[in-house]
Amino acid sequence: MPKLIVDAHRLAGPVPFDDLPVDPRPDLDRLGIERALVTHTLSLYSDAGAGNDALFALSDPRLEPVPVVVPGVPGACTPATPADVRAWGARMVRLCPERHRFDLTGPIALRWLAALGDAAEPPPAVAVDLGETSPAQLRTLAGLLPGQRILVLNPGYRRLRALAELMAEAPDVWVEIGTVNTQGGVEWLAERFGAGRLVFGTGAPVADDCGPRFLLDHLDLTPHETDLIAAGSLERLLGGRR
Amino acid sequence: MILDAHGHVGTWPDFLIPDPTAEGLVATMDRLGVTAVGISHLLAVGPDAEGGNRLALEIAGKHPGRFGVWQVYNPHHRTPLATDGVWGVKLHPDVHQCRLDDPLYEPVWRLGLPVLAHGQTDSPWSDPAQFATVAARHPDVPLLMGHTGLWPSGFARAARLVDGHPNVYLEVCGSQSTGRWIARLASLAGAERVVFGTDACFLDMRLGVGRLALAPLTDADRALIQGGNLARLLGKGHP
Repeated sequence: MPKLIVDAHRLAGPVPFDDLPVDPRPDLDRLGIERALVTHTLSLYSDAGAGNDALFALSDPRLEPVPVVVPGVPGACTPATPADVRAWGARMVRLCPERHRFDLTGPIALRWLAALGDAAEPPPAVAVDLGETSPAQLRTLAGLLPGQRILVLNPGYRRLRALAELMAEAPDVWVEIGTVNTQGGVEWLAERFGAGRLVFGTGAPVADDCGPRFLLDHLDLTPHETDLIAAGSLERLLGGRR
Repeated sequence: MILDAHGHVGTWPDFLIPDPTAEGLVATMDRLGVTAVGISHLLAVGPDAEGGNRLALEIAGKHPGRFGVWQVYNPHHRTPLATDGVWGVKLHPDVHQCRLDDPLYEPVWRLGLPVLAHGQTDSPWSDPAQFATVAARHPDVPLLMGHTGLWPSGFARAARLVDGHPNVYLEVCGSQSTGRWIARLASLAGAERVVFGTDACFLDMRLGVGRLALAPLTDADRALIQGGNLARLLGKGHP
């Protein structure tokens, strides 16, 4: 049993295609998950800005906001400027290049991301669903922005070879394990890249949280490695910012 | 008792399976308390049903009581089928590109053994509506709808389509499934119609077991789903 469990990928709010809990806290309680990094579903399925407002209004230290950023020219972006992103103080932001139809490695997105950090404070980590991009595009992003920490959400299991290539080439890429669900897939990645590159996350309630939570208790890894995946790696990904 | 209705051994061309071995599965089963898993060899699901079935039977013989065999029937190759020493027959209409309701499967239905078939909502080969069709034609053949249609958007429809066919069981493995959906299916179809599977080694057995173990179910319903139903439908055939 890990000492502390933090879900790096959780949703709050309604989805248009199912009747799912809008509040993640009862499921967190039921499954013994201490905290979660949360994105609001309005940001994914409606208006990014409205979703971020709803997210910050949750105002519960147990639910750490992961607001959605839509880089773009003035009038086509959320929020208005990179400075507004910095003002949020979020330790991680989410980018949805497919859903919001922008170029993840285009000049505007790169300028926005470059503007999110400064000498005093590193930029927030960036979470991207692999279904919204490709390993090649993430490799390009990591190469163009050295030091930018990236969390790959929903990596799945069918692209394990490409995911491994990405992790081998881009040391600032972390991977969420909730969907790495072929037999022994998590241990295979841990053996090659270290448990410190793997992060517990579920994508619940759209994706399953029961299986990944159970997996944490049954990994064929040392207790230290399991603790890293359950919460420790995430802290490193977030850069210790608080 | 945990009985896993849907398992495999072997490699698959689409992606890397880090541990495709029977020994790896047994080690995982021992850790999790899984009594037995029904397997089809992935070679058999692919191009060589006869050879893959032989390998599955060898594995079952090497690990007595731990593996049941779903012998794969390839309708194009008219695979020879055994009547003893197996759990039943595995069909994969999508890989074999032969609709579940195609007459080419007649030798399978005539055999009368339980059938586990891949089910995939909106697939031209294995949509749940085809399970209702063949269940009506062969009401005495226990038929497991693998993955309950695979996509969450089709789970409820799958349950509705086979509601009037008590010989059809909803088998719940799949990368898109959730603990919440297993509980919903128990509510929609009745827990006695829901059968546990993991799709290991294709998928990680621990995720499948955990999905059921932590699903919001009563203990009685969980017991039926995790083994009671499968033991009942296999009768004396299970290890």
